[in-house]
Amino acid sequence: MDALSWDGTLTSRDFLVSARAFAEKWKEFNSAFPPWTWVPCPPKQPTCYLPQLQQQRQGYLSLEKTCLPGSSKKGHVASQEDIDEISLTEGEEELEPVDNATLVETNNSPQVCYYDFHIVHSDSYRVPVLYFRGYYIDGHPLALDEIEKDLPACSAKVLLESKWTFITQEEHPYLNRPWYKLHPCGTSEWMKLLFLGDDSLAKNGVAVEQYLVSWLSVVGQVVGIRIPFEMLNNPKSCN
Amino acid sequence: MSTAESPSAVRKVVVHLRATGDAPILKQAKFKILGTDKFAKVIEFLRRQLHRDTLFVYVNSAFSPNPDELVIDLYNNFGFDGKLVVNYACSMAWG
Repeated sequence: MDALSWDGTLTSRDFLVSARAFAEKWKEFNSAFPPWTWVPCPPKQPTCYLPQLQQQRQGYLSLEKTCLPGSSKKGHVASQEDIDEISLTEGEEELEPVDNATLVETNNSPQVCYYDFHIVHSDSYRVPVLYFRGYYIDGHPLALDEIEKDLPACSAKVLLESKWTFITQEEHPYLNRPWYKLHPCGTSEWMKLLFLGDDSLAKNGVAVEQYLVSWLSVVGQVVGIRIPFEMLNNPKSCN
Repeated sequence: MSTAESPSAVRKVVVHLRATGDAPILKQAKFKILGTDKFAKVIEFLRRQLHRDTLFVYVNSAFSPNPDELVIDLYNNFGFDGKLVVNYACSMAWG
């Protein structure tokens, strides 16, 4: 892609290319984390209207049942102590079994929360969009004010300032259920900045394969997903 | 020199702040920061200098570093010519 005329957007075809490259890199460099997988979807329109190639492109990237670094809810202090204790006893013989589970438990709701993240290509904005939902271990969904407590501090601040233009609840484009969505209005703008800031990329064109890695370096900060440096190190390795 | 190193002293990193888009250029574009500082400190510095609450800050390899990253880690991975180049723009990411 020619970088100078590029507007920061991505076609659904390039989204699929980038999604595959991203999922592979994630698996390679972030194996301790659950993998992102491509979930193919039946087309939203009747199949006869779409060429077969386009049908194959329908789908989204999915990372499910993951914990956010900040998510521990009310048992936060107790679990912090657990971690200290583990590091103190590290290397010693385990003479007696340690069962701290009862210490963490508080009187009301369970603390462990899971998050599902889906990256969906938006046909209207032509950029990836992050959809997510949170739920307790028993499946009970988290409301936005509960999710807010798991988000990094800067996100909570933005959430307060721009209530309707940051994270809102919307219908998941494929699952038709209410999910939280990160607004994509500014995405093409900052994606353009990111890619054109690099002189070599400006000369060599835009590496579609690297798009989602760069994108998640920004979007991940909102929800607390970190990208290992190794994934960012070599933007042109996929050429 | 770009980095001062001794066994006991904490290493400092030279950060080069580069304006992109319509962002104002700083009078002094290079400054030293402790490697043990978080990237958040660089963002905070820029915010104060530019009197802007929302900034888009990114590093030469097409990504936006997490504020919790240590400056030394970023320098070791993405620095060259003895400095870490940090681009900034005044556009808003959200809303």
